[in-house]
Amino acid sequence: MPRDAEVVSPRAGLMRGLLGGWAVLVYVFLFAPVVLLVAFSFNANRYGTFPFTGWTTKWYGQVFGDYQIRDALTTTLKVSAEVTLISTVVGTAAAFPLVRSRLPFRSGIRIGMTLPIMIPGLLIGISLLVLFTSVFHWQLSPQTAVIGQSVYTTPFVMLLVAARLQGFDPALERAASDLGANTFRRLRHVVLPLIMPAVFAGALFAFTLSLDEFIITLFLIGAQNTLPIYIYTQVKFGITPEVNALASLLLGASILLIGIAFVLPTAIRRARRLRHGAAGARS
Amino acid sequence: MGARRFAVGEYLGFAPALILYGAFFAVPLSIVVAYSFWKVRDYNVVHEWTIDNYRYFFSVPTYVRTMWATVWVAVLSTALTIAVAFPFAYWLVRHVPRRLQRTLLVLVILPFWTSYLLRVYSWLNILGPSGAINRFLQWTHVTSSPVSFFLYDRPAVVLVLVYLYFPFAALTLYASLERFDWDQFKAAMDLGARPATAMRKILLPQIRPGITTAVIFVFIPILGEYLAPQLVGGTRGIMIGNLIVNFFSGAEYTRGAAASLLIAALIVVLLVVFRRSLEIKDPYASGR
Repeated sequence: MPRDAEVVSPRAGLMRGLLGGWAVLVYVFLFAPVVLLVAFSFNANRYGTFPFTGWTTKWYGQVFGDYQIRDALTTTLKVSAEVTLISTVVGTAAAFPLVRSRLPFRSGIRIGMTLPIMIPGLLIGISLLVLFTSVFHWQLSPQTAVIGQSVYTTPFVMLLVAARLQGFDPALERAASDLGANTFRRLRHVVLPLIMPAVFAGALFAFTLSLDEFIITLFLIGAQNTLPIYIYTQVKFGITPEVNALASLLLGASILLIGIAFVLPTAIRRARRLRHGAAGARS
Repeated sequence: MGARRFAVGEYLGFAPALILYGAFFAVPLSIVVAYSFWKVRDYNVVHEWTIDNYRYFFSVPTYVRTMWATVWVAVLSTALTIAVAFPFAYWLVRHVPRRLQRTLLVLVILPFWTSYLLRVYSWLNILGPSGAINRFLQWTHVTSSPVSFFLYDRPAVVLVLVYLYFPFAALTLYASLERFDWDQFKAAMDLGARPATAMRKILLPQIRPGITTAVIFVFIPILGEYLAPQLVGGTRGIMIGNLIVNFFSGAEYTRGAAASLLIAALIVVLLVVFRRSLEIKDPYASGR
Protein backbone atom coordinates (compact mmCIF):
# COMPACT_ATOMS: atom_id res chain seq x y z
CA MET A 1 0.00 0.00 0.00
CA PRO A 2 1.36 3.45 -0.82
CA ARG A 3 2.39 5.50 2.15
CA ASP A 4 -0.20 8.24 2.52
CA ALA A 5 1.68 11.20 3.93
CA GLU A 6 -1.42 13.34 4.20
CA VAL A 7 -3.16 11.37 6.87
CA VAL A 8 -0.06 11.19 9.05
CA SER A 9 1.30 14.72 9.09
CA PRO A 10 -0.49 17.29 11.26
CA ARG A 11 0.47 20.05 8.85
CA ALA A 12 -1.37 18.23 6.08
CA GLY A 13 -4.39 18.07 8.35
CA LEU A 14 -4.27 21.82 8.86
CA MET A 15 -3.93 22.29 5.09
CA ARG A 16 -6.97 20.12 4.56
CA GLY A 17 -8.98 22.16 7.03
CA LEU A 18 -7.94 25.42 5.40
CA LEU A 19 -8.90 24.15 1.96
CA GLY A 20 -12.26 22.93 3.24
CA GLY A 21 -12.90 26.31 4.85
CA TRP A 22 -11.99 28.03 1.60
CA ALA A 23 -14.46 25.85 -0.29
CA VAL A 24 -17.22 26.77 2.16
CA LEU A 25 -16.45 30.46 1.63
CA VAL A 26 -16.59 29.93 -2.14
CA TYR A 27 -20.06 28.43 -1.92
CA VAL A 28 -21.22 31.25 0.35
CA PHE A 29 -19.80 33.76 -2.14
CA LEU A 30 -21.58 32.02 -5.01
CA PHE A 31 -24.97 31.64 -3.39
CA ALA A 32 -25.33 34.54 -0.94
CA PRO A 33 -26.38 37.11 -3.57
CA VAL A 34 -28.94 34.74 -5.05
CA VAL A 35 -30.32 33.67 -1.67
CA LEU A 36 -30.64 37.31 -0.59
CA LEU A 37 -32.40 38.18 -3.84
CA VAL A 38 -35.00 35.47 -3.26
CA ALA A 39 -35.33 36.40 0.43
CA PHE A 40 -36.03 40.05 -0.44
CA SER A 41 -38.70 39.01 -2.91
CA PHE A 42 -40.69 37.70 0.09
CA ASN A 43 -39.88 40.70 2.28
CA ALA A 44 -42.75 43.07 3.06
CA ASN A 45 -40.40 46.09 3.03
CA ARG A 46 -41.50 48.03 -0.01
CA TYR A 47 -37.99 49.30 -0.76
CA GLY A 48 -36.92 45.78 -1.62
CA THR A 49 -34.02 45.73 0.81
CA PHE A 50 -33.07 45.53 4.49
CA PRO A 51 -34.55 45.36 7.05
CA PHE A 52 -36.89 42.39 6.94
CA THR A 53 -40.26 43.67 8.02
CA GLY A 54 -42.37 40.60 7.46
CA TRP A 55 -43.28 37.83 5.08
CA THR A 56 -45.42 38.45 2.03
CA THR A 57 -46.21 37.08 -1.41
CA LYS A 58 -47.75 40.39 -2.45
CA TRP A 59 -44.92 41.22 -4.88
CA TYR A 60 -45.47 38.01 -6.79
CA GLY A 61 -49.13 38.93 -7.15
CA GLN A 62 -48.09 42.28 -8.62
CA VAL A 63 -45.70 40.56 -11.03
CA PHE A 64 -48.50 38.39 -12.39
CA GLY A 65 -50.87 41.35 -12.59
CA ASP A 66 -48.48 43.65 -14.48
CA TYR A 67 -49.37 43.84 -18.18
CA GLN A 68 -45.89 45.11 -19.13
CA ILE A 69 -44.37 42.01 -17.60
CA ARG A 70 -46.93 39.82 -19.34
CA ASP A 71 -46.06 41.43 -22.68
CA ALA A 72 -42.36 40.95 -22.03
CA LEU A 73 -42.97 37.32 -21.10
CA THR A 74 -44.87 36.69 -24.34
CA THR A 75 -42.07 38.25 -26.39
CA THR A 76 -39.44 36.31 -24.45
CA LEU A 77 -41.18 32.97 -24.99
CA LYS A 78 -41.69 33.63 -28.71
CA VAL A 79 -38.07 34.65 -29.20
CA SER A 80 -36.75 31.72 -27.14
CA ALA A 81 -38.90 29.20 -29.01
CA GLU A 82 -37.59 30.40 -32.37
CA VAL A 83 -34.00 30.54 -31.16
CA THR A 84 -34.31 27.01 -29.79
CA LEU A 85 -35.69 25.71 -33.08
CA ILE A 86 -33.01 27.39 -35.21
CA SER A 87 -30.05 26.50 -33.01
CA THR A 88 -31.18 22.90 -32.49
CA VAL A 89 -31.57 22.24 -36.22
CA VAL A 90 -28.44 24.13 -37.31
CA GLY A 91 -26.30 22.88 -34.43
CA THR A 92 -27.31 19.24 -34.80
CA ALA A 93 -26.76 19.30 -38.57
CA ALA A 94 -23.32 20.84 -38.14
CA ALA A 95 -22.31 18.28 -35.49
CA PHE A 96 -22.32 15.45 -38.07
CA PRO A 97 -19.65 16.71 -40.47
CA LEU A 98 -17.71 18.08 -37.50
CA VAL A 99 -17.31 14.59 -36.07
CA ARG A 100 -17.47 12.38 -39.14
CA SER A 101 -16.10 14.03 -42.24
CA ARG A 102 -12.40 13.94 -43.02
CA LEU A 103 -12.08 17.67 -43.17
CA PRO A 104 -8.44 18.69 -43.20
CA PHE A 105 -9.20 21.77 -41.07
CA ARG A 106 -11.71 20.18 -38.73
CA SER A 107 -10.10 21.40 -35.52
CA GLY A 108 -9.96 24.88 -37.03
CA ILE A 109 -13.69 24.76 -37.64
CA ARG A 110 -14.23 23.51 -34.11
CA ILE A 111 -12.34 26.50 -32.72
CA GLY A 112 -14.13 28.80 -35.16
CA MET A 113 -17.50 27.54 -33.98
CA THR A 114 -16.61 28.26 -30.35
CA LEU A 115 -15.72 31.86 -31.22
CA PRO A 116 -19.31 33.11 -30.82
CA ILE A 117 -19.23 31.75 -27.25
CA MET A 118 -15.83 33.17 -26.48
CA ILE A 119 -15.85 36.69 -27.88
CA PRO A 120 -17.75 39.33 -25.90
CA GLY A 121 -21.48 39.36 -26.70
CA LEU A 122 -21.17 43.10 -27.01
CA LEU A 123 -19.22 42.67 -30.26
CA ILE A 124 -21.82 40.29 -31.69
CA GLY A 125 -24.58 42.71 -30.73
CA ILE A 126 -23.08 45.86 -32.20
CA SER A 127 -21.82 44.20 -35.37
CA LEU A 128 -25.32 42.85 -36.10
CA LEU A 129 -26.79 46.23 -35.22
CA VAL A 130 -24.60 47.82 -37.89
CA LEU A 131 -25.51 45.11 -40.40
CA PHE A 132 -29.26 45.30 -39.81
CA THR A 133 -29.67 49.06 -39.54
CA SER A 134 -27.12 50.61 -41.87
CA VAL A 135 -26.57 47.86 -44.46
CA PHE A 136 -29.92 46.05 -44.71
CA HIS A 137 -32.00 48.98 -43.40
CA TRP A 138 -34.19 46.59 -41.44
CA GLN A 139 -36.46 47.66 -38.62
CA LEU A 140 -35.22 46.19 -35.32
CA SER A 141 -37.72 43.66 -33.98
CA PRO A 142 -37.88 40.42 -31.99
CA GLN A 143 -36.89 38.71 -35.26
CA THR A 144 -33.56 40.50 -35.43
CA ALA A 145 -32.97 39.54 -31.78
CA VAL A 146 -33.72 35.92 -32.72
CA ILE A 147 -30.93 35.97 -35.31
CA GLY A 148 -28.46 37.49 -32.86
CA GLN A 149 -29.25 35.03 -30.09
CA SER A 150 -29.07 32.07 -32.47
CA VAL A 151 -25.51 33.02 -33.40
CA TYR A 152 -24.64 32.73 -29.72
CA THR A 153 -26.62 29.60 -28.76
CA THR A 154 -26.02 27.33 -31.79
CA PRO A 155 -22.42 26.37 -30.87
CA PHE A 156 -23.63 25.02 -27.50
CA VAL A 157 -26.00 22.60 -29.25
CA MET A 158 -23.36 21.65 -31.77
CA LEU A 159 -20.72 20.87 -29.13
CA LEU A 160 -23.17 18.80 -27.06
CA VAL A 161 -24.41 16.74 -30.00
CA ALA A 162 -20.86 16.36 -31.36
CA ALA A 163 -19.72 14.97 -28.01
CA ARG A 164 -22.52 12.39 -28.17
CA LEU A 165 -21.73 11.47 -31.79
CA GLN A 166 -18.10 10.98 -30.87
CA GLY A 167 -18.96 8.31 -28.35
CA PHE A 168 -21.18 6.52 -30.85
CA ASP A 169 -20.20 3.08 -32.19
CA PRO A 170 -19.98 3.31 -36.00
CA ALA A 171 -20.47 -0.48 -36.19
CA LEU A 172 -24.14 0.04 -35.31
CA GLU A 173 -24.69 2.07 -38.44
CA ARG A 174 -22.66 -0.33 -40.57
CA ALA A 175 -24.78 -3.19 -39.26
CA ALA A 176 -27.95 -1.34 -40.25
CA SER A 177 -26.46 -0.68 -43.65
CA ASP A 178 -25.59 -4.38 -44.07
CA LEU A 179 -29.16 -5.23 -43.21
CA GLY A 180 -30.29 -3.08 -46.14
CA ALA A 181 -31.24 0.20 -44.47
CA ASN A 182 -30.75 3.28 -46.66
CA THR A 183 -29.35 6.58 -45.43
CA PHE A 184 -32.73 7.93 -44.37
CA ARG A 185 -33.72 4.79 -42.45
CA ARG A 186 -30.33 4.56 -40.78
CA LEU A 187 -30.77 8.13 -39.64
CA ARG A 188 -34.35 7.61 -38.55
CA HIS A 189 -33.97 4.29 -36.72
CA VAL A 190 -30.36 4.15 -35.56
CA VAL A 191 -28.66 7.53 -35.35
CA LEU A 192 -31.46 9.81 -34.19
CA PRO A 193 -32.65 7.63 -31.29
CA LEU A 194 -29.07 7.41 -30.05
CA ILE A 195 -28.31 11.12 -30.21
CA MET A 196 -31.80 12.26 -29.16
CA PRO A 197 -30.90 12.75 -25.48
CA ALA A 198 -28.07 15.11 -26.47
CA VAL A 199 -30.33 16.95 -28.92
CA PHE A 200 -32.97 17.46 -26.22
CA ALA A 201 -30.37 18.60 -23.72
CA GLY A 202 -28.93 20.98 -26.32
CA ALA A 203 -32.39 22.38 -27.04
CA LEU A 204 -32.97 22.97 -23.32
CA PHE A 205 -29.62 24.71 -22.95
CA ALA A 206 -30.36 26.88 -25.98
CA PHE A 207 -33.80 27.76 -24.60
CA THR A 208 -32.41 28.73 -21.20
CA LEU A 209 -29.55 30.76 -22.66
CA SER A 210 -32.01 32.57 -24.90
CA LEU A 211 -34.42 33.19 -22.02
CA ASP A 212 -31.66 34.90 -20.04
CA GLU A 213 -29.70 36.50 -22.88
CA PHE A 214 -29.16 40.18 -22.26
CA ILE A 215 -26.42 42.00 -24.12
CA ILE A 216 -27.09 40.89 -27.72
CA THR A 217 -30.82 41.35 -27.18
CA LEU A 218 -30.32 44.85 -25.79
CA PHE A 219 -28.95 46.00 -29.15
CA LEU A 220 -31.30 44.11 -31.45
CA ILE A 221 -34.74 43.93 -29.85
CA GLY A 222 -35.86 47.42 -30.88
CA ALA A 223 -38.87 48.86 -29.09
CA GLN A 224 -40.07 45.63 -27.48
CA ASN A 225 -38.91 44.06 -24.22
CA THR A 226 -37.83 40.61 -23.22
CA LEU A 227 -37.85 39.87 -19.49
CA PRO A 228 -34.13 40.57 -18.95
CA ILE A 229 -34.44 43.85 -20.88
CA TYR A 230 -37.51 44.79 -18.85
CA ILE A 231 -35.65 44.08 -15.61
CA TYR A 232 -32.73 46.17 -16.84
CA THR A 233 -34.95 49.17 -17.58
CA GLN A 234 -36.45 48.86 -14.09
CA VAL A 235 -33.12 48.45 -12.30
CA LYS A 236 -31.97 51.79 -13.71
CA PHE A 237 -34.52 53.40 -11.39
CA GLY A 238 -33.43 51.39 -8.38
CA ILE A 239 -34.34 48.08 -6.76
CA THR A 240 -37.99 47.33 -6.23
CA PRO A 241 -39.50 44.26 -4.56
CA GLU A 242 -41.46 43.49 -7.75
CA VAL A 243 -38.21 43.23 -9.70
CA ASN A 244 -36.81 40.97 -6.97
CA ALA A 245 -39.88 38.74 -7.33
CA LEU A 246 -39.64 38.67 -11.13
CA ALA A 247 -35.91 37.97 -10.92
CA SER A 248 -36.54 35.09 -8.50
CA LEU A 249 -39.08 33.58 -10.89
CA LEU A 250 -36.67 33.85 -13.82
CA LEU A 251 -33.85 32.34 -11.75
CA GLY A 252 -36.10 29.50 -10.65
CA ALA A 253 -37.15 28.77 -14.23
CA SER A 254 -33.52 28.73 -15.44
CA ILE A 255 -32.34 26.45 -12.66
CA LEU A 256 -35.24 24.08 -13.26
CA LEU A 257 -34.60 23.91 -17.02
CA ILE A 258 -30.86 23.45 -16.62
CA GLY A 259 -31.39 20.83 -13.93
CA ILE A 260 -33.56 18.90 -16.38
CA ALA A 261 -30.97 19.33 -19.16
CA PHE A 262 -28.23 17.93 -16.92
CA VAL A 263 -30.29 14.97 -15.74
CA LEU A 264 -32.22 14.22 -18.94
CA PRO A 265 -29.65 12.25 -21.00
CA THR A 266 -28.91 9.87 -18.12
CA ALA A 267 -32.61 9.53 -17.31
CA ILE A 268 -33.51 8.65 -20.90
CA ARG A 269 -30.74 6.09 -21.11
CA ARG A 270 -31.78 4.54 -17.81
CA ALA A 271 -35.44 4.40 -18.84
CA ARG A 272 -34.52 2.74 -22.13
CA ARG A 273 -32.32 0.20 -20.42
CA LEU A 274 -35.11 -0.62 -17.97
CA ARG A 275 -37.59 -1.05 -20.79
CA HIS A 276 -35.23 -3.20 -22.82
CA GLY A 277 -34.32 -5.16 -19.73
CA ALA A 278 -38.00 -5.88 -19.08
CA ALA A 279 -38.55 -6.84 -22.71
CA GLY A 280 -35.52 -9.13 -22.57
CA ALA A 281 -36.79 -10.82 -19.42
CA ARG A 282 -40.16 -11.49 -20.98
CA SER A 283 -38.87 -13.10 -24.15
CA MET B 1 -14.21 2.96 -49.47
CA GLY B 2 -17.99 3.05 -49.55
CA ALA B 3 -18.04 6.31 -47.63
CA ARG B 4 -16.41 8.13 -50.57
CA ARG B 5 -19.76 8.12 -52.32
CA PHE B 6 -21.04 10.58 -49.76
CA ALA B 7 -18.23 13.06 -50.27
CA VAL B 8 -20.66 15.94 -50.79
CA GLY B 9 -23.30 14.65 -48.42
CA GLU B 10 -20.68 14.43 -45.72
CA TYR B 11 -20.36 18.21 -45.66
CA LEU B 12 -24.03 19.01 -46.27
CA GLY B 13 -24.66 19.35 -42.54
CA PHE B 14 -22.44 22.40 -42.43
CA ALA B 15 -24.60 24.28 -44.94
CA PRO B 16 -27.08 25.86 -42.50
CA ALA B 17 -24.30 26.77 -40.07
CA LEU B 18 -22.29 28.23 -42.92
CA ILE B 19 -25.20 30.47 -43.89
CA LEU B 20 -25.86 31.53 -40.29
CA TYR B 21 -22.22 32.23 -39.47
CA GLY B 22 -21.33 33.65 -42.85
CA ALA B 23 -24.17 36.13 -43.05
CA PHE B 24 -24.60 36.97 -39.37
CA PHE B 25 -21.17 36.53 -37.83
CA ALA B 26 -18.32 36.81 -40.33
CA VAL B 27 -19.92 39.48 -42.52
CA PRO B 28 -21.03 41.84 -39.72
CA LEU B 29 -17.67 41.56 -37.95
CA SER B 30 -15.93 42.38 -41.24
CA ILE B 31 -18.23 45.35 -41.67
CA VAL B 32 -17.25 46.62 -38.23
CA VAL B 33 -13.59 46.29 -39.21
CA ALA B 34 -14.27 48.27 -42.40
CA TYR B 35 -16.31 50.92 -40.55
CA SER B 36 -13.46 51.56 -38.18
CA PHE B 37 -11.38 52.67 -41.19
CA TRP B 38 -14.09 54.70 -42.93
CA LYS B 39 -14.98 58.36 -42.81
CA VAL B 40 -18.18 60.08 -41.80
CA ARG B 41 -19.35 63.00 -43.91
CA ASP B 42 -22.60 64.83 -43.18
CA TYR B 43 -23.70 62.05 -40.83
CA ASN B 44 -23.19 59.43 -43.54
CA VAL B 45 -20.53 56.78 -43.60
CA VAL B 46 -18.52 57.13 -46.81
CA HIS B 47 -16.17 54.48 -48.10
CA GLU B 48 -12.98 56.46 -47.83
CA TRP B 49 -10.12 54.91 -45.94
CA THR B 50 -8.73 56.73 -42.94
CA ILE B 51 -7.23 56.07 -39.51
CA ASP B 52 -8.89 59.14 -38.03
CA ASN B 53 -11.24 57.07 -35.89
CA TYR B 54 -8.30 55.52 -34.09
CA ARG B 55 -6.47 58.82 -33.92
CA TYR B 56 -9.54 60.38 -32.34
CA PHE B 57 -9.76 57.62 -29.72
CA PHE B 58 -6.14 58.11 -28.68
CA SER B 59 -6.45 61.89 -28.68
CA VAL B 60 -8.98 61.86 -25.84
CA PRO B 61 -7.18 61.23 -22.54
CA THR B 62 -10.32 59.85 -20.85
CA TYR B 63 -10.67 57.16 -23.53
CA VAL B 64 -7.03 56.12 -23.29
CA ARG B 65 -7.27 56.02 -19.51
CA THR B 66 -10.43 53.92 -19.77
CA MET B 67 -8.66 51.51 -22.12
CA TRP B 68 -5.78 50.96 -19.71
CA ALA B 69 -8.20 50.72 -16.81
CA THR B 70 -10.05 48.01 -18.73
CA VAL B 71 -6.85 46.04 -19.25
CA TRP B 72 -5.94 46.50 -15.60
CA VAL B 73 -9.39 45.43 -14.37
CA ALA B 74 -9.28 42.40 -16.68
CA VAL B 75 -5.81 41.35 -15.47
CA LEU B 76 -6.70 41.83 -11.81
CA SER B 77 -10.06 40.09 -12.06
CA THR B 78 -8.56 37.17 -13.98
CA ALA B 79 -5.75 36.76 -11.46
CA LEU B 80 -8.17 36.91 -8.54
CA THR B 81 -10.59 34.48 -10.21
CA ILE B 82 -7.79 31.93 -10.72
CA ALA B 83 -6.50 32.54 -7.19
CA VAL B 84 -9.95 31.83 -5.76
CA ALA B 85 -10.67 28.90 -8.08
CA PHE B 86 -7.37 27.04 -7.81
CA PRO B 87 -7.51 26.07 -4.09
CA PHE B 88 -11.17 25.26 -4.59
CA ALA B 89 -10.52 22.95 -7.56
CA TYR B 90 -7.60 21.36 -5.68
CA TRP B 91 -9.83 20.72 -2.69
CA LEU B 92 -12.51 19.21 -4.91
CA VAL B 93 -10.10 16.81 -6.61
CA ARG B 94 -8.03 15.82 -3.57
CA HIS B 95 -10.33 15.91 -0.56
CA VAL B 96 -13.82 15.11 -1.84
CA PRO B 97 -15.05 11.57 -2.52
CA ARG B 98 -15.47 10.98 -6.26
CA ARG B 99 -19.20 10.43 -5.94
CA LEU B 100 -19.72 13.91 -4.51
CA GLN B 101 -17.35 15.72 -6.86
CA ARG B 102 -19.80 15.88 -9.75
CA THR B 103 -22.63 17.21 -7.62
CA LEU B 104 -20.46 19.88 -6.01
CA LEU B 105 -19.16 20.88 -9.43
CA VAL B 106 -22.67 21.18 -10.87
CA LEU B 107 -23.54 23.49 -7.96
CA VAL B 108 -20.68 25.75 -9.03
CA ILE B 109 -21.60 25.70 -12.73
CA LEU B 110 -25.31 26.18 -12.12
CA PRO B 111 -25.09 29.97 -11.64
CA PHE B 112 -23.30 30.24 -15.00
CA TRP B 113 -26.43 28.98 -16.73
CA THR B 114 -28.72 31.38 -14.94
CA SER B 115 -29.24 34.94 -16.07
CA TYR B 116 -26.11 37.01 -16.43
CA LEU B 117 -28.14 40.14 -15.81
CA LEU B 118 -29.58 38.76 -12.58
CA ARG B 119 -26.21 37.69 -11.29
CA VAL B 120 -24.98 41.26 -11.61
CA TYR B 121 -28.24 42.64 -10.30
CA SER B 122 -28.19 40.42 -7.23
CA TRP B 123 -25.06 42.23 -6.02
CA LEU B 124 -26.96 45.50 -5.78
CA ASN B 125 -28.77 43.98 -2.80
CA ILE B 126 -25.42 43.52 -1.07
CA LEU B 127 -23.30 46.44 -2.24
CA GLY B 128 -26.00 49.09 -2.61
CA PRO B 129 -26.50 52.13 -0.35
CA SER B 130 -29.10 50.18 1.61
CA GLY B 131 -27.49 46.82 0.85
CA ALA B 132 -26.29 44.14 3.22
CA ILE B 133 -22.81 45.59 3.79
CA ASN B 134 -23.98 49.08 4.61
CA ARG B 135 -26.78 47.81 6.82
CA PHE B 136 -24.28 45.67 8.67
CA LEU B 137 -21.87 48.59 9.14
CA GLN B 138 -24.65 50.80 10.44
CA TRP B 139 -26.00 48.09 12.70
CA THR B 140 -22.57 47.58 14.25
CA HIS B 141 -22.15 51.37 14.42
CA VAL B 142 -18.99 51.38 12.34
CA THR B 143 -20.56 54.12 10.28
CA SER B 144 -23.66 56.18 10.83
CA SER B 145 -24.51 56.96 7.20
CA PRO B 146 -24.36 54.70 4.12
CA VAL B 147 -20.92 54.35 2.55
CA SER B 148 -20.86 54.26 -1.23
CA PHE B 149 -17.35 52.87 -1.52
CA PHE B 150 -18.84 49.43 -2.07
CA LEU B 151 -20.74 50.60 -5.08
CA TYR B 152 -20.04 52.79 -8.09
CA ASP B 153 -16.30 52.22 -8.18
CA ARG B 154 -13.74 49.80 -9.56
CA PRO B 155 -13.42 47.47 -6.53
CA ALA B 156 -17.11 46.64 -6.85
CA VAL B 157 -16.64 45.90 -10.56
CA VAL B 158 -13.71 43.57 -9.89
CA LEU B 159 -15.66 41.76 -7.17
CA VAL B 160 -18.65 41.19 -9.44
CA LEU B 161 -16.43 40.09 -12.33
CA VAL B 162 -14.72 37.49 -10.14
CA TYR B 163 -18.18 36.30 -9.16
CA LEU B 164 -19.38 36.15 -12.79
CA TYR B 165 -16.43 34.26 -14.22
CA PHE B 166 -15.55 31.96 -11.33
CA PRO B 167 -17.49 29.01 -12.81
CA PHE B 168 -15.37 29.07 -16.02
CA ALA B 169 -12.13 28.99 -14.06
CA ALA B 170 -13.31 26.39 -11.55
CA LEU B 171 -14.49 24.08 -14.32
CA THR B 172 -11.32 24.21 -16.45
CA LEU B 173 -8.99 23.97 -13.45
CA TYR B 174 -10.98 21.05 -12.08
CA ALA B 175 -10.76 19.27 -15.43
CA SER B 176 -6.98 19.55 -15.62
CA LEU B 177 -6.33 18.75 -11.94
CA GLU B 178 -8.61 15.76 -12.22
CA ARG B 179 -6.60 14.32 -15.11
CA PHE B 180 -3.29 14.83 -13.31
CA ASP B 181 -1.56 11.68 -12.14
CA TRP B 182 -1.10 12.36 -8.41
CA ASP B 183 1.27 9.41 -8.01
CA GLN B 184 3.90 11.52 -9.76
CA PHE B 185 3.47 14.14 -7.08
CA LYS B 186 3.84 11.55 -4.36
CA ALA B 187 6.87 10.07 -6.12
CA ALA B 188 8.55 13.48 -6.18
CA MET B 189 7.96 13.86 -2.45
CA ASP B 190 9.24 10.35 -1.77
CA LEU B 191 12.41 11.35 -3.61
CA GLY B 192 12.81 14.22 -1.17
CA ALA B 193 11.09 17.15 -2.88
CA ARG B 194 9.27 19.52 -0.60
CA PRO B 195 5.56 20.04 -1.42
CA ALA B 196 6.22 23.52 -2.85
CA THR B 197 8.97 22.18 -5.11
CA ALA B 198 6.89 19.24 -6.23
CA MET B 199 4.06 21.60 -7.04
CA ARG B 200 6.26 23.93 -9.06
CA LYS B 201 8.25 21.26 -10.90
CA ILE B 202 5.69 18.48 -11.41
CA LEU B 203 2.17 19.81 -11.07
CA LEU B 204 2.32 23.28 -12.63
CA PRO B 205 3.99 22.34 -15.93
CA GLN B 206 1.40 19.65 -16.51
CA ILE B 207 -1.68 21.68 -15.72
CA ARG B 208 -0.42 24.77 -17.52
CA PRO B 209 -2.69 24.24 -20.56
CA GLY B 210 -5.64 24.15 -18.14
CA ILE B 211 -4.57 27.37 -16.46
CA THR B 212 -4.07 29.01 -19.86
CA THR B 213 -7.55 27.98 -20.97
CA ALA B 214 -9.00 29.37 -17.76
CA VAL B 215 -7.14 32.66 -18.22
CA ILE B 216 -8.36 33.00 -21.81
CA PHE B 217 -11.96 32.15 -21.01
CA VAL B 218 -12.06 34.66 -18.16
CA PHE B 219 -9.98 37.46 -19.65
CA ILE B 220 -11.59 37.73 -23.09
CA PRO B 221 -15.21 38.25 -22.02
CA ILE B 222 -14.11 40.73 -19.33
CA LEU B 223 -12.51 42.94 -22.00
CA GLY B 224 -15.94 43.43 -23.55
CA GLU B 225 -17.79 43.74 -20.26
CA TYR B 226 -20.61 46.28 -20.33
CA LEU B 227 -23.22 45.45 -17.73
CA ALA B 228 -21.14 45.00 -14.56
CA PRO B 229 -19.44 48.40 -14.86
CA GLN B 230 -22.77 49.91 -15.86
CA LEU B 231 -24.71 48.62 -12.86
CA VAL B 232 -22.15 48.58 -10.05
CA GLY B 233 -19.26 50.62 -11.46
CA GLY B 234 -20.90 54.01 -11.90
CA THR B 235 -18.95 56.75 -13.66
CA ARG B 236 -15.70 55.84 -11.92
CA GLY B 237 -15.88 52.21 -12.98
CA ILE B 238 -16.49 52.47 -16.72
CA MET B 239 -14.70 50.21 -19.18
CA ILE B 240 -14.21 50.14 -22.97
CA GLY B 241 -17.51 48.30 -23.39
CA ASN B 242 -19.37 51.29 -21.98
CA LEU B 243 -17.51 53.64 -24.32
CA ILE B 244 -18.49 51.48 -27.29
CA VAL B 245 -22.14 51.50 -26.30
CA ASN B 246 -22.01 55.28 -25.86
CA PHE B 247 -20.51 55.71 -29.33
CA PHE B 248 -23.14 53.51 -30.92
CA SER B 249 -26.09 55.02 -29.08
CA GLY B 250 -24.78 58.42 -30.17
CA ALA B 251 -24.75 57.09 -33.77
CA GLU B 252 -20.97 57.51 -33.95
CA TYR B 253 -20.66 54.18 -35.70
CA THR B 254 -17.17 54.55 -37.10
CA ARG B 255 -15.68 55.62 -33.76
CA GLY B 256 -17.52 52.85 -31.96
CA ALA B 257 -16.20 50.40 -34.52
CA ALA B 258 -12.64 51.59 -33.88
CA ALA B 259 -13.07 51.12 -30.12
CA SER B 260 -14.48 47.61 -30.76
CA LEU B 261 -11.46 46.80 -32.88
CA LEU B 262 -9.23 47.81 -29.97
CA ILE B 263 -10.89 45.08 -27.87
CA ALA B 264 -10.34 42.62 -30.71
CA ALA B 265 -6.70 43.73 -30.89
CA LEU B 266 -6.26 43.14 -27.16
CA ILE B 267 -7.74 39.66 -27.56
CA VAL B 268 -5.27 38.92 -30.35
CA VAL B 269 -2.38 40.16 -28.20
CA LEU B 270 -3.51 37.86 -25.40
CA LEU B 271 -3.74 34.86 -27.71
CA VAL B 272 -0.27 35.56 -29.11
CA VAL B 273 1.19 35.88 -25.61
CA PHE B 274 -0.30 32.58 -24.56
CA ARG B 275 0.23 30.81 -27.87
CA ARG B 276 3.35 29.05 -26.67
CA SER B 277 1.84 27.57 -23.54
CA LEU B 278 -1.21 26.50 -25.53
CA GLU B 279 0.95 24.58 -27.98
CA ILE B 280 3.09 22.77 -25.43
CA LYS B 281 2.12 19.15 -25.32
CA ASP B 282 1.92 17.47 -21.97
CA PRO B 283 5.49 16.15 -21.67
CA TYR B 284 4.69 13.44 -19.15
CA ALA B 285 1.53 12.05 -20.71
CA SER B 286 2.97 10.97 -24.06
CA GLY B 287 3.00 7.33 -23.01
CA ARG B 288 -0.69 7.30 -22.15
